[in-house]
Amino acid sequence: MGKILIVDDTLFMRTLLKNILFSGGHTIAGEAGDGEEAIAKYKELKPDLVTMDVVMPKMNGIEALKGIKALDPAARVVMCTAVGQEQMVKLAIKSGAKGYIVKPFQAPKVLEEVKNVLAS
Amino acid sequence: MKEVPVKIEHNKQWVVVKLGVGEDRLVIPAPVNKEILFKTVLDVAERKNVLIITAKTDAEATYKILSVDKVLSILKKMILASCNAYRLMAYFMSPAIKGGVMVKDAQWEKGSVVVVHTGIWFVSATKQICVPTNDVAAIELTKREVQGKPTDVVKIDHLENNEVASSLVLCPLSTLQVLYNFLKETTKSMDMKGTELDGVDQQVAMLIYSGMDSHAIENMLNIPHKQLEVIYDKILKLGLAEVTIIRREVQLTTKGVRYISDATKSQTN
Repeated sequence: MGKILIVDDTLFMRTLLKNILFSGGHTIAGEAGDGEEAIAKYKELKPDLVTMDVVMPKMNGIEALKGIKALDPAARVVMCTAVGQEQMVKLAIKSGAKGYIVKPFQAPKVLEEVKNVLAS
Repeated sequence: MKEVPVKIEHNKQWVVVKLGVGEDRLVIPAPVNKEILFKTVLDVAERKNVLIITAKTDAEATYKILSVDKVLSILKKMILASCNAYRLMAYFMSPAIKGGVMVKDAQWEKGSVVVVHTGIWFVSATKQICVPTNDVAAIELTKREVQGKPTDVVKIDHLENNEVASSLVLCPLSTLQVLYNFLKETTKSMDMKGTELDGVDQQVAMLIYSGMDSHAIENMLNIPHKQLEVIYDKILKLGLAEVTIIRREVQLTTKGVRYISDATKSQTN
């Protein structure tokens, strides 16, 4: 079980992820609504894992991922992408993401990916 | 004519017969006594190890054939090559993308795409993959990088074990356009305007997809049970969901309250 930082610009998606992760026994370290806040919260909270939306205002998920990896090369970041963004997934993996989940989410898939990444 | 042992459904029972397989037809012996010309076959579907063939001569008739994979594979290949369907030679990759990411080791295969009433078949020398029309989520004429060059393809998004997968079809652009139009027409009944659900309705639909139950949805969206029931009715009416469980909420009667009170007393004494 891990301490997780949820990054998404929509409250609905954050609430959904929070519910799914809670049901899997994880703790929510915190939430962020954009890439800049994500980097700041990562520094402050040092979570075991980050779920990172790709399309966000101010700083997008890929830039935030790079920022977090610059702070902590061992950071575990799982990207949240929409169906059809396979090029974005490739770019994220190249930039150091450990995994990805696809919107719309299915709870078992989210928990499986989080479990795999936490075990890596 | 070659013969293969199969089971065929006859009068709602499975009977063992030696099915005759000719170049252009199947011959089903007694007690069925039918000949199915491949060119009269309108639909081919598969459920586990059962091949479901619909053919029309004078009237439409459906035949269910149960057999091992090897036999069904030969039958499918022969029927799909000659049945009455929209068919084109093409390169395909199925599935090419699963859950938004390219499938490892996915390769272009040379073969044909056969569109029948209930599905789209991808047929190559070694594979016969069927995407049921009901599972087609989207069809798009798009570009993909093939051997380093952006190339026109038809992308078919479909559900596979509740996960969105995509298959790609590659052939000359003019043929792709025809295939795209044909598939759009075939799956027209699934088309929606996109304005049928409002914001909250869409959130409910997404939460259902995510596996949340009614109680969790009510809590997450902070909506009363009655409102959720209205949204469920709307989603059901649009054919976007189906009822799986009807759960009951109950409250104790006086007898029940007395029973629990007594039980609690005896535990605390």
